[in-house]
Amino acid sequence: MKRVLLAPLDPVHDIGLKMVARGLTAAGHNALLLAPDLAPEEIIEQVVKHRADTLLIGRTLGYGVAELLARFVDLTDASGIREKVKIGIGGMAVRPELAAELGFDAGFGPGTEVEEVICFVEDREYKADLGRIKKRKSDMTSSYDYRYHHPGISAKLAQITDMILDWVKGKNSSGVRRAKVRHELWDAARWRAREDMSEFTKEYSKHCGEIPRKYFEQGELHPKTRRFTIEEVRKFEAYLQELKERMSVKKLQHTRPKPLVFNQYGTGCPFMDIGHIVASQAWGVDGVIHFDPSWGARTEGFMDGFLTHQEDGTVITPANFNRIHSSLESSTLWQVRAHRGLNTPETVVLAGKLGADLTKINICYGALGAGTDPARMTLDGYHSILYAQQYNLPFDVVTNEELAGVPAHKAFAGMLIVADLAVRLGARPILQPLFAYSPEVMLRGLMADNYIDYNTAKVHALRSILNAPIWPGAPIGFLTHTEDRVQSAMTTAMHASLAMSLGVDAISIASTDEAYSGGPITASAKIDTLRAVQEGFRFFGQASIIPTANANLLVEELVEQIEAVLDRVIKTGDFVAALHQGCLGSREDGAYPGRAGKDTVEME
Amino acid sequence: MAEPLGQIMDALDVETFFVCASEAEGRTYMLALLKQWGLKDVDIVFVQHEGPGARVRGRAYVYRPADKYQWLLGGEGRS
Repeated sequence: MKRVLLAPLDPVHDIGLKMVARGLTAAGHNALLLAPDLAPEEIIEQVVKHRADTLLIGRTLGYGVAELLARFVDLTDASGIREKVKIGIGGMAVRPELAAELGFDAGFGPGTEVEEVICFVEDREYKADLGRIKKRKSDMTSSYDYRYHHPGISAKLAQITDMILDWVKGKNSSGVRRAKVRHELWDAARWRAREDMSEFTKEYSKHCGEIPRKYFEQGELHPKTRRFTIEEVRKFEAYLQELKERMSVKKLQHTRPKPLVFNQYGTGCPFMDIGHIVASQAWGVDGVIHFDPSWGARTEGFMDGFLTHQEDGTVITPANFNRIHSSLESSTLWQVRAHRGLNTPETVVLAGKLGADLTKINICYGALGAGTDPARMTLDGYHSILYAQQYNLPFDVVTNEELAGVPAHKAFAGMLIVADLAVRLGARPILQPLFAYSPEVMLRGLMADNYIDYNTAKVHALRSILNAPIWPGAPIGFLTHTEDRVQSAMTTAMHASLAMSLGVDAISIASTDEAYSGGPITASAKIDTLRAVQEGFRFFGQASIIPTANANLLVEELVEQIEAVLDRVIKTGDFVAALHQGCLGSREDGAYPGRAGKDTVEME
Repeated sequence: MAEPLGQIMDALDVETFFVCASEAEGRTYMLALLKQWGLKDVDIVFVQHEGPGARVRGRAYVYRPADKYQWLLGGEGRS
């Protein structure tokens, strides 16, 4: 048992010392908390009187306080107690370095655990309770059975799924062929061991466009890319190894387990991405999303090699995926987007083979908002879903076509069509409504009063139709962000708190650079929003955000409109024709059927 | 000690309040300040002028993607 004297050198702020005194008493020590604002001489007198082993001073730093504390330490020297008594100081502005500089034996700043102070008193080394922040990967689809609550919509979706399954029969594309070659002939373990992959390469390059074919046949790189040097790779490996030894992760959630928080990376450079990923992990992100360059979606096939890139989006190659995956903590979920473009099924295969946890597929968005021909996207999307099922990759069905102006009910109808097809194929889709100040919202004044009602209505409408996981994105608060860092972090935190209040499974968040377009997103901009979201979760805890009565009216409207869209799709008798005819987003809305891969679907 | 600037992961942001008459003036002050400090790849992320002056956030990219980073390569990087 130690005799510990706790002395607030502050007139009012002694809450920290009270907590420490309670902890010390519980640990079996004799802790005596003195009255606040005693003169230094009086404190020293009490130390002598009580024959204290340890003196703990509490003080908020301010003007002239550093000098006051230094004088206090001098006084303990002069009185002769310095040699016999350990002296620690704690307070909001105290840091261990500052305490040492002032002559104290220890300094306890904000976030100090009581256990840390007890260890100081007991001359023990403090080891943070790592178990407390141990995170594990979780499967956000595991508690959903995908049962419909709305029989009418269920029946209509079943009809459309039959139409799609009928349409894809006997059709093929180079994207589907490449995915098959990658699935059958490319082995990650053999590739990592640098074994001969010529059988794969020969067959694969037959189905590639010019850029990947030149890479495989002549070793020529895409002009916007460069290969990392051996020296860079060696240094990177050493950096990562050293970092992993001291890496720990934070938890953003407070008293609710959901939602999981994802952010996106894709600066163009895997090293910078990895820098951003490790910083995001340290600040609490639960998952990261790979963002690829737009030209990659319009190129038939992938190159290989550890490549960096001077434009937005990080190039998909097996080597880049492999390195990025190696930087992830075991608790971090890794999502690879495959929702658009000419490499959709192969992206799913590659992601599955290299350890991804999730992917992203939406035929309607890919065809109407991301520039891929509707027929090609439907065929490739169907095969992507089959691979997602095979590689055990749940995927979100993103509805970003809303950002182009497509009304939510049309985007939702498209999302539900893809989700229904996925469930029929044994896959696990995740619904991804946007929490966005979308063009439709602006035109109709749907958020004239608040951002809560319509976003709430979207989640409730989907829940009234299908029992499926919901992951608002991507990112939440789209088009509510400005270049002001404080506003941007605030709107992200508010949308995240709404998502938490609605009990959704996950969210994707932006950084505070969301609205800035002058350069790549920075690490500190990512940390801004992670900190803000953590604070939002802390603020609300188990409390909830209550929408106005308008939200219920919007739910009814959305569900009715979704059903009407499905009727129109059925009436066309052909899903691909429905995409062209604008049933799921028209030219007037702002959706244009894509042209990449036009006329590339072949009958076998 | 490594050169501090080279240890910045990507960019240096500077936020302050300039006493000035317009947003344009605030923007000019920030860009001039960053350049005065020897920073080259500079931009304004955010500026808002109200009443007595402008709240400005300036940015200097120390590294762009695909650069050679001192924080990774040590002395062979930027410095």
